[in-house]
Amino acid sequence: MNYALASLAIPFTVALLTLLLQRRSEANPIVPAITVLATAVSLVFAGLALETQAVSGAVSHLNVGGWDSPLAIRLRLTPLKALLLGFVALIHLLTGLYAWRAKPKIARDYWPLSALLHTSLAALILSADIFNLYVTLELLSLSAVALVCLSGPKAYTPALYYLLLSLGASLCYLMGVAVIYGQYGVLDMTVLAGIMEADHSTRFALLLMTAGLMLKGALWPLHLWLPEAHTYAPTPVSALLSGLVVKGPLFILWQLWNNLAPEALAREMGPLFAAGGVVALVSGGWSAFRAPFIKTLVAYSTVAQLGYALMGLGLLLFLQERIYAVALWLFVLAHGLAKVSMFLAAGEMQTLLGSKRVTAMRGATQTIPITMSAFAIAGISLIGMPPTGGFLAKWSLLEPLFTQANHWPWASGVLLGTFVSAAYVFRAIALGFYQAPMSREPRHFDRVSQWLALLPALLVGLMAFAGQDLIAWMAGVTQT
Amino acid sequence: MNWTNALPVVAVFSSLLPGLLIFALREQQQGLRTGLNLLGVTVKLIVVGVMLWGVSQGLDFRVEAPFLPGGALILHGDALSLQFVSLSAVLWMATTIYAIGYLRGTPLQSRFFGYFSICVSATVGVALAGNLITFLLFYELLTLATYPLVVHRGTREALDAGRSYLAYTVAGGTLLLMGIAVLHALSGSPQFVPGGYLASVPARHGPALTVAFALLITGLGVKAALIPLHGWLPKAMVAPTPVSALLHAVAVVKAGAFGIVRVIYDVYGAETLEQLDLTAPLIAVAAFTVIFASLRALQQRHLKRRLAYSTVSQLSYIVLGAALLGPIAAVGGLVHLIHQGIMKITLFFCAGAFEKTLGVHRISEMDGIGRRMPLTMSAFTVGALGMTGIPPTAGFISKWFLAAGGLEVGQPWVVWLFVVSGLLNAAYFLPLVYRGWFSIPTAEWPEDHQPESGWETRRMLLLPTLFTALLTLLMGLLAGSALGPLGWSQLIVAREFPL
Amino acid sequence: MSPELLYLVVGATIWAVGLGGLLLVHHMLRRVIAVNLMGSGVFLVLVALAARSSPPDPVLQALVVTGLVVAISATAFAVRLASARAQHSSGTPEVERPGGDES
Repeated sequence: MNYALASLAIPFTVALLTLLLQRRSEANPIVPAITVLATAVSLVFAGLALETQAVSGAVSHLNVGGWDSPLAIRLRLTPLKALLLGFVALIHLLTGLYAWRAKPKIARDYWPLSALLHTSLAALILSADIFNLYVTLELLSLSAVALVCLSGPKAYTPALYYLLLSLGASLCYLMGVAVIYGQYGVLDMTVLAGIMEADHSTRFALLLMTAGLMLKGALWPLHLWLPEAHTYAPTPVSALLSGLVVKGPLFILWQLWNNLAPEALAREMGPLFAAGGVVALVSGGWSAFRAPFIKTLVAYSTVAQLGYALMGLGLLLFLQERIYAVALWLFVLAHGLAKVSMFLAAGEMQTLLGSKRVTAMRGATQTIPITMSAFAIAGISLIGMPPTGGFLAKWSLLEPLFTQANHWPWASGVLLGTFVSAAYVFRAIALGFYQAPMSREPRHFDRVSQWLALLPALLVGLMAFAGQDLIAWMAGVTQT
Repeated sequence: MNWTNALPVVAVFSSLLPGLLIFALREQQQGLRTGLNLLGVTVKLIVVGVMLWGVSQGLDFRVEAPFLPGGALILHGDALSLQFVSLSAVLWMATTIYAIGYLRGTPLQSRFFGYFSICVSATVGVALAGNLITFLLFYELLTLATYPLVVHRGTREALDAGRSYLAYTVAGGTLLLMGIAVLHALSGSPQFVPGGYLASVPARHGPALTVAFALLITGLGVKAALIPLHGWLPKAMVAPTPVSALLHAVAVVKAGAFGIVRVIYDVYGAETLEQLDLTAPLIAVAAFTVIFASLRALQQRHLKRRLAYSTVSQLSYIVLGAALLGPIAAVGGLVHLIHQGIMKITLFFCAGAFEKTLGVHRISEMDGIGRRMPLTMSAFTVGALGMTGIPPTAGFISKWFLAAGGLEVGQPWVVWLFVVSGLLNAAYFLPLVYRGWFSIPTAEWPEDHQPESGWETRRMLLLPTLFTALLTLLMGLLAGSALGPLGWSQLIVAREFPL
Repeated sequence: MSPELLYLVVGATIWAVGLGGLLLVHHMLRRVIAVNLMGSGVFLVLVALAARSSPPDPVLQALVVTGLVVAISATAFAVRLASARAQHSSGTPEVERPGGDES
């Protein structure tokens, strides 16, 4: 628990510190260094927390400030939470390194805000009661919106939409919390898990909370705000938003339905989630296929890929088999890494090619091969071809479906998803293979930042080679 | 890990590593690039030679690494895999030399040779794959690595061909994945077993096995270009000729045909297939493909496209040989895997040499080409006669065994199928031979690049062509010797197919 | 009808009105207000729930206080963002005039 707490406290301290450090001066050069370093330390602590937690398989609690149960801020650490802490820190580290290196220079406020985002995600992961989750959700949205604003006035409109919808969604969630507390008089999730009943007011509360979370997590059909916000944000911010921020509400949704909700309600809800996932895959994929701008394509692909996660959640609830939880979290990990790479590559392309349009990618395999490889490898993981992480996740979703004949129809959802993702990914990759217009030389050529964009893609690209261990380990991690 | 375990890995990496290194080379580093390529070729040939010797002595080359639950990554060199591995290793050598000659002076060679080597690694991986999961991994890698070669020229036409290639192969790969997942859910993905590992699956899973068979064969049929899944192949001929030669005549399409052979004999097994009665539709499709593709070939006016349809037709010989489920037919199918590869690559090499030297693309432009390029035209003649099945070429041996195999399993119509197919082959190949030797050139050649060396074409284009033409003749003449592909195919059938 | 129930119903109604406003109204400032209405509705519900027992449930009151803090900061941020956006699009530092709904 102490390690996890350190992993949470470090970015928080850094957020405050960096705010102080750059109060007056223009841009303090040590701020990025401090932030990146602290993120690395936070990652190490998350790793330690994961090691102790996964080895003991234990669940630990902490009441902040020593208060007692109802009034205290209660934190809870499980192996899965430790894993997610590490994942958040890792993605922050990767994007942080890129942002440090990126040209043109990112706004200096990126550093305290991203540290704040890191803090709120860590707090969201560790929170043990449904009201604290509301507070962390709000913190998450506020820092995310502020980060979107960093790209200047053109981002204000999407940022404002994002903020207002997000606030509305939080209040939907809070209303659900009020109904639950009104009925059971408890906020702590471990306690609630044992006593919730499948009655009307519980169902109503869960639906309110679900609607709010689906809006925040951009889960179909409540995803409409996402493409604009993710497109207009600065590149490292887009990577953070797609890779991490939408996963926060998804994690709460998972806890809500997998741990809290009575099984009868969960079984009822499962097919709806799964069907929503299939529609998300197809409609998001289609929009990505039609997208005129590189970043819009990547943003819609997030909508589509969240469909896989939603499908995993739905099938988990519906069929009550652990393997779908493994599939769900493998999707989250694989998608996070792939999406970071893809957004960073998209950002590099915008700078190097001087255009936001997908059609600007013509000849990119010749002019910017490393960036193009990052985009392509990440894309192949999104399609789910071996040996990528996307394949591993898809396999763990697909294979158990075939064990029973009446579950086979769900496999067609995966089939459709693959086709649609292949269509939008290869549309972009194919453009890269056109003969390059030789006159247009890249304006500047920073190998390091290109390799930084490639790094997450390589990680996810070879993920399946650890498949057997990873699936077995994830099965253990998602138990609690 | 002892040396027998290491060899399959070396066989895959001997082209993968040079490929990755070549990507990092600058365009001008021609010498280094050639050196890396030839180093990989040499290492692979040596490894394959040792493995061939080892398998004939009864050694087992096998390596396993964890991959998915119930499905490890297995590379296993058995007699059947070595049949395909040696084909791709030998032809890789010939094509690498040919490609260096063919691409001289064109841009983006590092990209080309990088992907080219990865393709060969994927092909060798497909051949050595010891279970379905490993097969899938390399099969998809092959799809991905071939795409950049199809679109290498970067023109709109090439990109269109690439799109259709991807549409077919990605869809096929997905169906294959589904089929593999169905089987995996039933029995995991154990190592391929002669006689099929699904024999032990209870009979009540019959419908699942049927669906999985349909999925697998459709998925593999895309690459094996079974009609109506062949649409990508003629279009892909827009790629540079070495790509058409090695990949579209040999590696990619053979990966599909080889996969079908594996599924039939080592996954399902003849017994299970007969019980479920699954091969009849496959035989029908293959027989239809043999005839229909030949008719389509007759209509083509473009040399490479005619060769492409001929490939479609000839591949179904292999599928048919496997699907007839008789030992003699199996020998015919397996030996044709080799023979078709050698003969077809000869023809493609010639087509590429005509194109590079004289700018000849169309059949109508071939009049009298034998006077200008006698050696190349001789090689073309050998290949064409082989395809037609005239003794003593390799093609005759294949057809003989396939037809005899049909009689053996009580399907005499197969003999007539090969008679008709032979006539059609003659109808679309012999006129080319006639034109080349006996017609009088009507006009100037579209282009004329006489090399300074005084040879009829670039030496690096000519030598590989003559080499493969010679192989075609030798395989026919020396078919009786135990060392040839025929002897090896009989070894496979004796060892692996307990029919 | 007991007073607690009345407050509950009123709170829920206010929340619903706020939600409707957020979804149906286009003017940004009005949407900010709509979100605030939703917040007030939830807080009213929470306070009404707290009043069911005597002494009133301290947990719920703590929640409301926390919620208010969150709501105030979020509103401040939203208003600042809306005005920055208006300033950028119209060139004047004013928030768009009420009544002039922008599409």
